[in-house]
Amino acid sequence: MKDTQTSAEQLLTYADKIAQSHKEAKATVVALVLTIVAWAVLGFGLAGIDVKIAGMPLWALGGTVGTWIVAVLIVVIMNKTIFRDFNLDDEGVSQDAAVNGGTNE
Amino acid sequence: MNSFVALLPVIIFLIVGVGIAFIGAKSKNDTSSANGFLNKYFLGNRNMGAFVLAMTTIATYGSVSSFVGGPGQGWSIGWGWVYMATVQVTTLYLLYGILGKKMALVSRKLGAVTVVDVIRERFNSPLLGILSALVIVVFFTTTMIAQFVGGAKLFEAVTGQSYVIGLIIFGIAALLFTVVGGFRGVVLTDALAGIIMLVGIVVLAGGILNAGGGFASIMQTISETKPHMMQPLADGNMPLGLYFTQWLLVGIFTFALPQSVVRTMGYKDTKSLHRATLVGTIIIGFMMIGVTSLGILSAGVLTDPIESYGAGNADDIIPQAIMITLPSWLASIAIVGPVAASISTVSSLLISATSALVKDIWLAAKPAANAENVNERSINIVSRVATIVLALVVVGLSVTPPSVIWKINMFAFGGLETAFAFVLLGALFWKRATKVGALTSMIAGVAAYVVSMALGFKIGGLHQITIGLSVALLGMIIGSLLSKKQEPSKIFFPEK
Repeated sequence: MKDTQTSAEQLLTYADKIAQSHKEAKATVVALVLTIVAWAVLGFGLAGIDVKIAGMPLWALGGTVGTWIVAVLIVVIMNKTIFRDFNLDDEGVSQDAAVNGGTNE
Repeated sequence: MNSFVALLPVIIFLIVGVGIAFIGAKSKNDTSSANGFLNKYFLGNRNMGAFVLAMTTIATYGSVSSFVGGPGQGWSIGWGWVYMATVQVTTLYLLYGILGKKMALVSRKLGAVTVVDVIRERFNSPLLGILSALVIVVFFTTTMIAQFVGGAKLFEAVTGQSYVIGLIIFGIAALLFTVVGGFRGVVLTDALAGIIMLVGIVVLAGGILNAGGGFASIMQTISETKPHMMQPLADGNMPLGLYFTQWLLVGIFTFALPQSVVRTMGYKDTKSLHRATLVGTIIIGFMMIGVTSLGILSAGVLTDPIESYGAGNADDIIPQAIMITLPSWLASIAIVGPVAASISTVSSLLISATSALVKDIWLAAKPAANAENVNERSINIVSRVATIVLALVVVGLSVTPPSVIWKINMFAFGGLETAFAFVLLGALFWKRATKVGALTSMIAGVAAYVVSMALGFKIGGLHQITIGLSVALLGMIIGSLLSKKQEPSKIFFPEK
């Protein structure tokens, strides 16, 4: 748990962490919109192009594997820029969380 | 097929699984209080790391229908079906990104063990808690039966063993994984199941590619014999409206499935969540695109009309592909994929349904003073007995499922999304959401969905999930705004 504590220094209070979770939820909705756009462009958008790769239509490759790659890239970007590490247990822990939060081996 | 060889891979999977469940049960944490036991049995002491979190979410979500129904549709519709199935790449990051952090924070503060705990506390409504638990128990039970029936049919077709033997093996496995290891046993065996599902896909892909003379050759065959399989709208078999509603049903709103949401309460730390988002998105993309593509590839090998295969419906395609393209010893390995998919879904639903019965109905119904006096030992016994009884009921009903089970199961997936989507979003993100809004959303949403499904009533030709979700959304907004303002706990909306 040591490393999460060092990177959590700016998010000490429970209110800060909740605010951060709201921010991440909103960013996730943006990520969804971007994925939908990529899916539509790489699939339907390429459907008119008569190109095949190993016999597979380009739109089918773009709409499936292409969308998948875009989704993975979006997650990489979110992990790097939006999602932040913080300790889930410290600061004002309730009794229950204190009992069960002490299991960080 | 020699019966021992046919059964060997399944049996090895089960033995390894039970071993893992036993190891999972030996947690380092002592459970000295009643809540200690509940936390351990139903939530694994919030100890999941990234890989297990990702794999258990995928294995719970990826069911026997992902292995049978989906590819079967792919066989007849073509790449459009795979294109549609690709929307599932969003499911992991939506669940973890939208609910992951807040559910973890709030449930730790509350000491909540179930998703229903969080909902009940947020709206301060025991009635909503009981209602949520009932929705979970009913829909989970029918889903478990459908999973067992699907798995056992496949098992019968491929191994030649009887359907009932398949059921008994699956039932024992799901029960042992759950009752021995609790939540930790379930998620660890899920991780094993997830790996085996991936192996099953790769093995079968190898068999089909080999039998069809390679990928390009199969594509050539399909282009010539069934050109509609190469078009996104598949000559009208894959209308735009279906893409839209599948985005809602198997994409966006899967984040609200309670069996998935409970996993956001059980992970260890934020690093695990972030890594699981990445690993999970990679694996679910591979799995869902891969498994559905198997159906397309089968079309290059199973080229006759559907009537020529098994009972003549799309669900027979994958069993046929396994038997036709693989030597029997490899077939018996490939079959473990869908078997694992079925058992891992059932074990996760079993532990969640048990938690609903024990924690959200039995314990919640006791007056507060009484509930605290229930000692750990009796909760332990009741929880395990409830798991066993529920598993026996599910296996018993799976032998010859009553038709009402099928009817309810048709509503299960969309019904759970309708019931929980806006209740959860309102609970976590909308301060003005009230008990009345939540009750209206859940009751009116599910009622509208189930009734319109039962009557076959559609608006604009779209799947009834659009009706259910719209009513649930309006119910939450209108019900909340028309009722008295309810100040939510600081745990949900702390002041800066």
